[in-house]
Amino acid sequence: MRDLLKECLSEESGFVELRYHHKESRSFFAERGRVESTALRKRTGVGVRVLESGTWGFASTSEITKASIQNAMQIAKKAARLSSALRKDKIPNLPKANFAVGDFIGKGIEDFRSRSVEEKLKMVLDIQNEATRHSNKLQSVGCGYSEIYEEKAIVTTDGANSFFSLVRPEFRVSAVAKDDGKLESGSHSIGVTGGWDCLFRSQSPSQISEEACKTAVDLLSSELPLGGLSTVILSPSIVGLLVHEAIGHTVEADFVLSGSVAQGKIGHRVGSDLVTLCDSGASEFYEGAGGTIPVDDEGVIPTNTVIIKNGILSSYLHNRETAERFGVAPTGSARAWEYGDVPLIRMRNTFLLPGDSSLEEMIANTKDGYYLDGAKNGQADATGEFMFAVQKAYRIQNGKITNLLKGVTVSGLAFDVLQNVDMVSKEFKWDLGSGHCGKGQPAKVDAGGPYVRTKVLLGGK
Amino acid sequence: MDRGAIEKRLSDQKDLLTNLISKAKSNGIEQVEIYSSYGYSEDVSLEKNDLNNCTATEENMFGIRVIHEGNQGFLISNHIPSLYTSIEEAYQLAKSQSTPDPDLVLPETRPITNQFDTYDSSLDTMGIEDLVSYAKEALGWRNDLYDKINIDSGDFSLSKGYKLIVSSKGVMAHELGAELSASVMGMGVDGDLVGSFDYDSASGFTKDQFQSLWKKAFHNFGDKCMGALYAKPTTGFQGKVLLPPDAVYSFFLGLFIGSLNGTSLRKGKSKMAGKIGEKVASSLLSIWDDPTNKGFMGSTGFDREGMPTSFKKVLTEGVLESYFYNTYEAKKAKLPISNGCATGGAQSLPGCGPKQLQIAPGNANKDEFFKLPGKTLFVNRISGTKDGASGDFSGVVKGGYLLEGGEKIPVREVQIVGNAFDALNQIEAISKEGELIGESSFVPYMLLDGFTITGVMEN
Repeated sequence: MRDLLKECLSEESGFVELRYHHKESRSFFAERGRVESTALRKRTGVGVRVLESGTWGFASTSEITKASIQNAMQIAKKAARLSSALRKDKIPNLPKANFAVGDFIGKGIEDFRSRSVEEKLKMVLDIQNEATRHSNKLQSVGCGYSEIYEEKAIVTTDGANSFFSLVRPEFRVSAVAKDDGKLESGSHSIGVTGGWDCLFRSQSPSQISEEACKTAVDLLSSELPLGGLSTVILSPSIVGLLVHEAIGHTVEADFVLSGSVAQGKIGHRVGSDLVTLCDSGASEFYEGAGGTIPVDDEGVIPTNTVIIKNGILSSYLHNRETAERFGVAPTGSARAWEYGDVPLIRMRNTFLLPGDSSLEEMIANTKDGYYLDGAKNGQADATGEFMFAVQKAYRIQNGKITNLLKGVTVSGLAFDVLQNVDMVSKEFKWDLGSGHCGKGQPAKVDAGGPYVRTKVLLGGK
Repeated sequence: MDRGAIEKRLSDQKDLLTNLISKAKSNGIEQVEIYSSYGYSEDVSLEKNDLNNCTATEENMFGIRVIHEGNQGFLISNHIPSLYTSIEEAYQLAKSQSTPDPDLVLPETRPITNQFDTYDSSLDTMGIEDLVSYAKEALGWRNDLYDKINIDSGDFSLSKGYKLIVSSKGVMAHELGAELSASVMGMGVDGDLVGSFDYDSASGFTKDQFQSLWKKAFHNFGDKCMGALYAKPTTGFQGKVLLPPDAVYSFFLGLFIGSLNGTSLRKGKSKMAGKIGEKVASSLLSIWDDPTNKGFMGSTGFDREGMPTSFKKVLTEGVLESYFYNTYEAKKAKLPISNGCATGGAQSLPGCGPKQLQIAPGNANKDEFFKLPGKTLFVNRISGTKDGASGDFSGVVKGGYLLEGGEKIPVREVQIVGNAFDALNQIEAISKEGELIGESSFVPYMLLDGFTITGVMEN
């Protein structure tokens, strides 16, 4: 594929970027004793981006031929020329980058190819059947397995020339329990970049199912916490949501240029000394993080970007255009979801570095607070105000975990929350590898870290 | 790409898909459905108060459903030359399963009485140059009227295409469409002050319709961003919330409508199960689904399974009147046929849901809501989470105001917690005035009482 793309570019003199993308998604879902759906999705095409007259032009084609790709190049150039007069802030050129050259074949691909559809179907069906036996309060248990296999080739006129492939499997269980007219949900999911063994490395399918079912049943007897500003210990999944939603989005350089709260704060203190925050294209500490990419969608090798070092804001996340504007090197953060999507600045694997405490010490040192666990969804704002939803909130009183409360929305101002971090655990976990981040397009990301104690606004009664 | 070219493509594709289905049947694949979605679009995007990118995209997606002895395989592809191979792969997926359900069948064909063609050929005279001029106009509005607003992103789009469904049961239906649309997202920035995000959008079948709606939407966006810029924290309280149409539709009502979905009902995940004919909401609330209104964007003559759509009452003065079914869920509910509520497109299996919800206006004057005694929280938008089964929702209020003593004070760092099913009975008043959300659903303002509002300041 690289050869075809290079051939298409052989006579080009300006900047042209060609991105071939083939994606196959398989999903299997079982509920109420039967396989509810099996689906296979295939999408292939080439996205063409040009920089002409200081403006971007983009076109795409699902036909993988030289003629079709070259036609798309002409459409993209025309689009750029037509719009150039309106663009005030012209893009003079793009900086050189650490371009990826060669083939990068991901781990686990053969493992998934060798496993049959029947094997995957049996797994979701068996787990679902087994789960409903846990409690007669369970109304419904859904079990899903999915995998995204993708391959990309990225070739540019200024030096990128790479092919890569990877597979991202996910496994999820969602349960609904009922008692006395009350319905509650529990869910648990995992997702990695890598093979089957990587997916089920820390928890078996049965353990994942048990956790989801237990949450749904336990929540039937829970109540809302008291609302207000509270001391909280966040589990790694919640830390992942916090660093992704509260900080990560505000330091995406396109967002910074639009006026996010992180604008002009490089070199400023934005967190306590205990806070060192990174975003990496690799899977740091151990393999499998769900947002791992060997090459970004501009053909750049991703860096491990230190966003905050000991509380001081030190870097934004950049594509080539914003790197040029800020006079820094691209961080390899440009990502596109489909071949027909323009690459945007996106996070990859975002994490807080571990500290020196243990979870036990943190709980023992908390007189009045909550332990929050089970990430749901989250969103951030330009102001740095974020919200994320948790499944479960455990009350901590006098250094001991007491009753389970219904998890609700947690919010705060990103930098205030980081400034209030006063304990960070030694343990580390990637725990946000399932699901997607949304920013116009979806993206597979991961996030995680240690257990962290801070203060947030807890919604409640 | 103009109307003539799209019609030619559609005609050729009908022949192609019909032949593929015939071939499949002759090879023993009895139940095949192909849903085709073709789109051509030109787009101009904005970023950082400037033009960002111009794009042209064209794609044809196919959703292929094969049912074999009560088991279903589904495949999505954008590759026309291998469509027959895709049918065989979907067949293999169906055959690999061991949990058949005799109720899982493709629907028999039914006549479609409402014919829709929302392709106005005058749009064929437009192109990227026109989108660039709309972008220029919007940036001019920003510079002249809202210079404290940063446009984080925006998009102007001219799109055209068709949807087509063909099945081995004789279903054959198509609709052409074309529209102009635009959206904008951004926030107010004044020195170190940054307001919360807001957005707005508009779309139209014709140039005139689009221009008028877009101008209104952009100014609405500007006013919302400016309103949020000088927001301050406030104290929590128990009391009233005022929901504008957007908030009613996107957050509060969504949970209730989701509970009327045939799948949720069958799986025991809906609190509305067994409540047809019962009063489940305030008598002030009446809702209906009307996909047959040709004046609304998104109206359609057939659903995801090629079954005819129709007007239906959902809630009349608080009494529940109907659920939403596709063919499978209708059979599971012991009904002979669906009620034309299969949702989705080429990239998804048929779900269940409404097409064009309409909420009856009330008899209150919305301006009076802003002059109520005591404290009322105006909830412009909720950034939060909701649980379909329990109905619980919670979130941060965005672009909100505290209405107190005739004053309108912008607030931030405020959370609201509630339950959608309880909230149906907490409606205190509904306005006469409302808005057409997405140019398709009429939604009024609603005043509700009895909410917990959490603020960061001490009482």
